[in-house]
Amino acid sequence: MASLTHSTPHRMRRAQPMKLLTSGAGIVFVLYVLLYAIYASLQPSALSSSTFTNLVNNSVPLAIAAAGETLVVLSRGFDLSVAGVISLTNVLMAVYPQEGPFGALVSLAICLAVGGIVGAVNGWLVAILRLQAIAATLATMIVCQGLALVILDAPGGMVADWVSYELTDRLFGVLPISGLFVLAVVLAWLVFKRTNLGLGLYAVGADEQAASLSGISVIKVRFAAFVGAGMIYGLAGFMLSAQTATGNPNSGTPFLMLAFAAVALGGTSLSGGRGGLIGSILGAATLMLLQKVLFSGGVSSFYTGIFQGVVLVLAIVFGSAFARLTGRRTTA
Amino acid sequence: MQEPVSGPAVPVGAGEVALSIEAIRKAYGATVAVEKAAMTLMAGEVHALLGENGAGKSTLVKILSGVVRPDAGGMVLKGRPYAPTSISAARAEGVATAFQELSLLPNLSVAENLLLPRLPKGVAGMTSAAGTWQAGAEILARYGLDHIDPGAALESLPLADRQRVEIVRAFVNARHVLVLDEPTAALADTQWLFDHVRAATAKGMAVLYISHRLSEVRALCSRATVLRNGRSIATVELSAATDGDIFEMMVGRRGHAARRAATSTAATLNAPVVLSVSGMAGDTLKDVSFELRKGEILGIAALEGQGQRELFRTLAGLRQPASGTISVDGVAQALRGPSHALRVGGGIAYLPEERKTEGILSGLSAASNIVLPILPSVSKAGLVSGRNERAASEEHAQRVEMSQRYLSFPIGDLSGGNQQKALLARVMATGAQTLLLFDPTRGVDVGTKQSIYAAISNFAEQGGSVLFYSSELPEIVQLAHRCMVLYGGRIFSEFTGEDIDEQALVAALIGHGGAERRASAGVH
Repeated sequence: MASLTHSTPHRMRRAQPMKLLTSGAGIVFVLYVLLYAIYASLQPSALSSSTFTNLVNNSVPLAIAAAGETLVVLSRGFDLSVAGVISLTNVLMAVYPQEGPFGALVSLAICLAVGGIVGAVNGWLVAILRLQAIAATLATMIVCQGLALVILDAPGGMVADWVSYELTDRLFGVLPISGLFVLAVVLAWLVFKRTNLGLGLYAVGADEQAASLSGISVIKVRFAAFVGAGMIYGLAGFMLSAQTATGNPNSGTPFLMLAFAAVALGGTSLSGGRGGLIGSILGAATLMLLQKVLFSGGVSSFYTGIFQGVVLVLAIVFGSAFARLTGRRTTA
Repeated sequence: MQEPVSGPAVPVGAGEVALSIEAIRKAYGATVAVEKAAMTLMAGEVHALLGENGAGKSTLVKILSGVVRPDAGGMVLKGRPYAPTSISAARAEGVATAFQELSLLPNLSVAENLLLPRLPKGVAGMTSAAGTWQAGAEILARYGLDHIDPGAALESLPLADRQRVEIVRAFVNARHVLVLDEPTAALADTQWLFDHVRAATAKGMAVLYISHRLSEVRALCSRATVLRNGRSIATVELSAATDGDIFEMMVGRRGHAARRAATSTAATLNAPVVLSVSGMAGDTLKDVSFELRKGEILGIAALEGQGQRELFRTLAGLRQPASGTISVDGVAQALRGPSHALRVGGGIAYLPEERKTEGILSGLSAASNIVLPILPSVSKAGLVSGRNERAASEEHAQRVEMSQRYLSFPIGDLSGGNQQKALLARVMATGAQTLLLFDPTRGVDVGTKQSIYAAISNFAEQGGSVLFYSSELPEIVQLAHRCMVLYGGRIFSEFTGEDIDEQALVAALIGHGGAERRASAGVH
């Protein structure tokens, strides 16, 4: 469970429940469980496998997008291209559907490649040309949105049946298949975290100067963060297409703000160096669950944004207050 | 501050040259940081690098460590050309550095910091947490630091232990040359460091040791190279050189700068006190008390980080002292911020240290930058016209000898010297009777310096009071009626009028010969 604390793997050696709880991911996990309890009390069917699968399917695109964003945020960057990549891959899926399981694999490869290319452009602009991340990725986002409009100028198209049926189904009647994709991302992260590059991500995010004086190649780390993030956005676009079964050139737009909200809610510091990908996934799940809870509580969907924002602020305030109480140093 | 009489007891090794550097030059834009620096490090010796602030020590360290590439000149390491392009390249050749501003990552563990950028591998090429911990523990044990938990987050360590980790990492990575840049800044006990340095040199390592503490240098080093204005002045056997010789090499045999302030010194001694600080403490400051009189120019001399920054920021109202009182025109005041400081008594205006980030508003014209504090008096019905602005700024630009034609340019396009003139004009435009000038001539050319000196002197002659810090001693000698030396957050010594002498100042800067001055000057 070391992954739930914010950085070092050695913490596995001595489990510290207090530390787990005060980490961002711990807080958002507790929050999720509480919300789910409320959800279950409002809607008894919440505990059924089909409702849960539905919830997971709804949450997966945002969870994966937030996971990608986390890579860049950890290295003290911003990546707005998340919205562009999701829109672009979504319209590609809807306009050029590939049937059957093999077709799905081809589609997935295309989505990852598109995301990876956009990420490489971002990495080139930010890590090598040293442009401001926010400006550079704003530009790539706009370009991707524009490309999406060229490919599909209005909502429409059909995602391949195999993708939209199989990927929203359950394995053995219980396990949501889309959840397995999130699991795959988490596993990949746990491996990546234990590479020199993964540690470099935390190092560069905390102090670029010190990282480079410690012998870390800042350019390489930044570039890798953007490419990895781009590919994960591609996966998010793939999963969104499975979910909606259709194409929309603006489908990525809502993900921009929510991805950052999920990252912050999950305890990753927007100033870099602290946090983790699992927190962001839980953060995304919490934001989506909140929608369901409000809906089943009879609150108009117009209020959703207000509640999401308030929960975000409360989680961050609570997190830093709790951290102060237990004597852990808060983020710089 | 007792210095040992005899030379160091370090056995010099094989006497083979470990690293030699030849005619190294490095310029940042128009500023030449290092020029014609040369030095030879022998295997098995501890070699000191001495020099004032800005003498080029840090740049030279960066060049040796591969952080910065020199513009010209060459280095030879163990008989082979040495031109590292990165810190890893330097390490690969066996040169490692413990940096003054620690290069550690607060959010990683001690062990990870020690082993970066490559951690021990375990299953399937993944880094092994246990292996990292183990390797970290072994390194710490080898250097007698068993009390540090290799798994602890670095930020949880006290500053002294962080410094030790930085030093140990350099030891681990150095095979031929070890560079220690102010390694004892946070260490109360130097014995640990000295023991390990001696152990390393006994095995033939060359150590370049940078410290402003001459007693340490004498205890540890055999030879010293003195840098001044980016040039290596001389390399001396420390046992054959007196402290006086070394100070003289550090500051040079510059003819005593004409003390334009000298004549008015006596007059200010009995003038009324405008700013009085008593028992101020907080952070690095310890029991600072002094008075600034009407018409007086009071200089502060200090090495980096002796509390001068805190002192100025406190007087400007940017931070609150933990204890002590500040009185302006005889009334005790709690300064709440720079705009409040401007309003108390005759007013206190602050010229900040960082021109680019704290001073100029780069998109606005020089004229706008100057009249900023007096906008209400320039505007008509709340609106400011460019013409009024310009007219109002002209008078103040004249006081600092700033050419009128620059006034309409965006200030960001002007040279550093003209930017600094405009900022000085701004603090004068506030009408404050007391100016706090933090390094007012930092990074400006000689001509601009003279204009700034003249403006400061004129301001004082007209009854204004100036407290200024300078990293350049000649400036203090030339300008100040009185000078205080800050060392370790205290006023270490004080000099008045003709006693302000560069060599005496240098000695006081590094904590020498202050005791009797302190007594005679009557500062606590």
